[in-house]
Amino acid sequence: MKKIYILCVDDEPEVLDAVQRNIADIEDTFPIITAESADDARKVIEQIKSEGNDLGLILCDHVMPGDHGVDLLIEIGNQPEFTQTRKVLLTGQAGLDATVKAVNKGQLNHYIAKPWGAEELMQIVKDQLTEYIIKTNQNPIPYMAMLDAAKLSEYIYKNGILSDE
Amino acid sequence: MKLDKKVIGSVLGIAALILPQFLALEGLEPAGQLALGIFLMAAIFWICEPIPIFATSLLIILLQVFLLSDKGLFAASLVESGYIPQSYKDFYETMASPIIILFLGGFSLASAAVKFGIDRTLTRFLLKPFGTNPKYVCLGLMVSTATLSAFMSNTATTAMMITVVLPIIAALDKNDPFKRVVALSIPIGANIGGIATPIGTPPNAIALAALREQGVDIAFSTWMMLAVPLVVVMLIIAWRILLFLFPPATDKFEINFDTKINKSPVAILAYVVFAVTVLLWVTEKLHGISSTVVAFIPIAALPALSVLDQKDIRGFSWEVLWLVAGGISLGLSLKHTGLAGWIIDLVNWSSLSSLALLIAFGLVAFAVANLISNTVSATILVPLAVGLGVSGAAGADFNMGISIVTIGIVVSLSMILPISTPPNAIAMGTGVIETKDMAKSGIIIGLIGFVITLACSLLYWPLFF
Repeated sequence: MKKIYILCVDDEPEVLDAVQRNIADIEDTFPIITAESADDARKVIEQIKSEGNDLGLILCDHVMPGDHGVDLLIEIGNQPEFTQTRKVLLTGQAGLDATVKAVNKGQLNHYIAKPWGAEELMQIVKDQLTEYIIKTNQNPIPYMAMLDAAKLSEYIYKNGILSDE
Repeated sequence: MKLDKKVIGSVLGIAALILPQFLALEGLEPAGQLALGIFLMAAIFWICEPIPIFATSLLIILLQVFLLSDKGLFAASLVESGYIPQSYKDFYETMASPIIILFLGGFSLASAAVKFGIDRTLTRFLLKPFGTNPKYVCLGLMVSTATLSAFMSNTATTAMMITVVLPIIAALDKNDPFKRVVALSIPIGANIGGIATPIGTPPNAIALAALREQGVDIAFSTWMMLAVPLVVVMLIIAWRILLFLFPPATDKFEINFDTKINKSPVAILAYVVFAVTVLLWVTEKLHGISSTVVAFIPIAALPALSVLDQKDIRGFSWEVLWLVAGGISLGLSLKHTGLAGWIIDLVNWSSLSSLALLIAFGLVAFAVANLISNTVSATILVPLAVGLGVSGAAGADFNMGISIVTIGIVVSLSMILPISTPPNAIAMGTGVIETKDMAKSGIIIGLIGFVITLACSLLYWPLFF
């Protein structure tokens, strides 16, 4: 089975640590990878691609040395493998212009303002990954226990994802 | 890992197709050898699943048309060997056989039910009399799930019911065993409920098609008369077993969910077609119109009345129909080429009593269906029971009709593992239960179910055959 990764990009290692700790419960199902810059993130993404795995969610800071987060999101969203990847900005410093750009050109799915709450972050990650599973037409059973089981079950029911055999 | 298993399955399957052609198999004509190759390949593909199981079914029809039919590559040499090849149309026709049309009618109704919430409304109506005592709510869940799954897909019914109960399960105390009762009652209800009507679950189609092939035409209501008592008894037993294994700690469990009855004109048309079709099905004995004929009413009427549109029709589980069609088609060749009889002759059956035979078939069906698709299990075993009956090897008191029904029903009672049935897989997926919970209840329910099915086949079903 393909692995579905979560990529977390932030120039501050403490932020990456905190995010990893907050969503640690989900790591067995969705492995988490961190990157400290846009360049770092690109390398990780190439790696994921070359292994034939998927990127389910990217949690990205905006203001970082080198390329900014919004530009990275737009770039990733333009790659055919990652059009369905859920894109979340996790930032305190994205101005209106950058945010508008992220929504309009980067298909931003969610915006989390720093500082965030641990439970809030976990919930957002689960909701986003649930959407990812649905949008990419995967068999949801392996992911139900970790994600929004009721929503995935509704999806099986409404769309005839599984049938009697 | 996964890739390796696929490669091994493919290689084994293809080898099994080719190898019998080069062996001297005593008593088997060239046509029988070809059929043996197809049969073995299909069995291996179905078990190892290098390709989806419905794809294997389509492959069977392709191979039959190319290798065994009157338009096939070997038609002339087969005729020379004294075999009269079946028309290629016979194989194609399995895809539109009356049983397939019956299922298509069921799919049309189920699609309309989902679209206009008939199933949810019905669930609320059915659950109401069971109150809020957890014990009776559990029974209510099983009865509602079983009732719906008798007419809809077991899998879709399970998914729907799971969405209904999950929010309430979440509100229970974390350690309350009643969580597990709720999460298990739904797949168990769905698996058992599928037995109740001919369209309840695909293995029923395999059994009915085999009976038709033998000239035994079972009315919709007749099937229900022979199956519903078993279903009711099994539901009650399964209910008691669940409560015994996981005694509830809570004393109140209230299921609330919103269902707005859709009163738009199109929805009302959907209700009418649904009601008329089901009514005509269950009263088949009174008016004499075959259920397979009635089945075309929803197929044609629902699109005509704009209840179902193009998109809804595309959403039918066509692969289930093809899975069944391939199974029926394989049965044709097994019989026509004499392969079924040949396989049967490999064993000296006369040493076994007809009861021992029935038990043997039932146990094999039960065991196999826990591991692979129920439909496939029935598909492989039913033709052998037919072969046994036709060849007379089993003695005069072997009742072929009953053994076919027994196999068709026993496979639905196989629910030990998460992989045993898609409803089990969904319930497991929620993370509310563990595999050992499912195994415990599945083994007890399965074995009791097996004994009760056997009792029916000895004491009750002889009234119908």
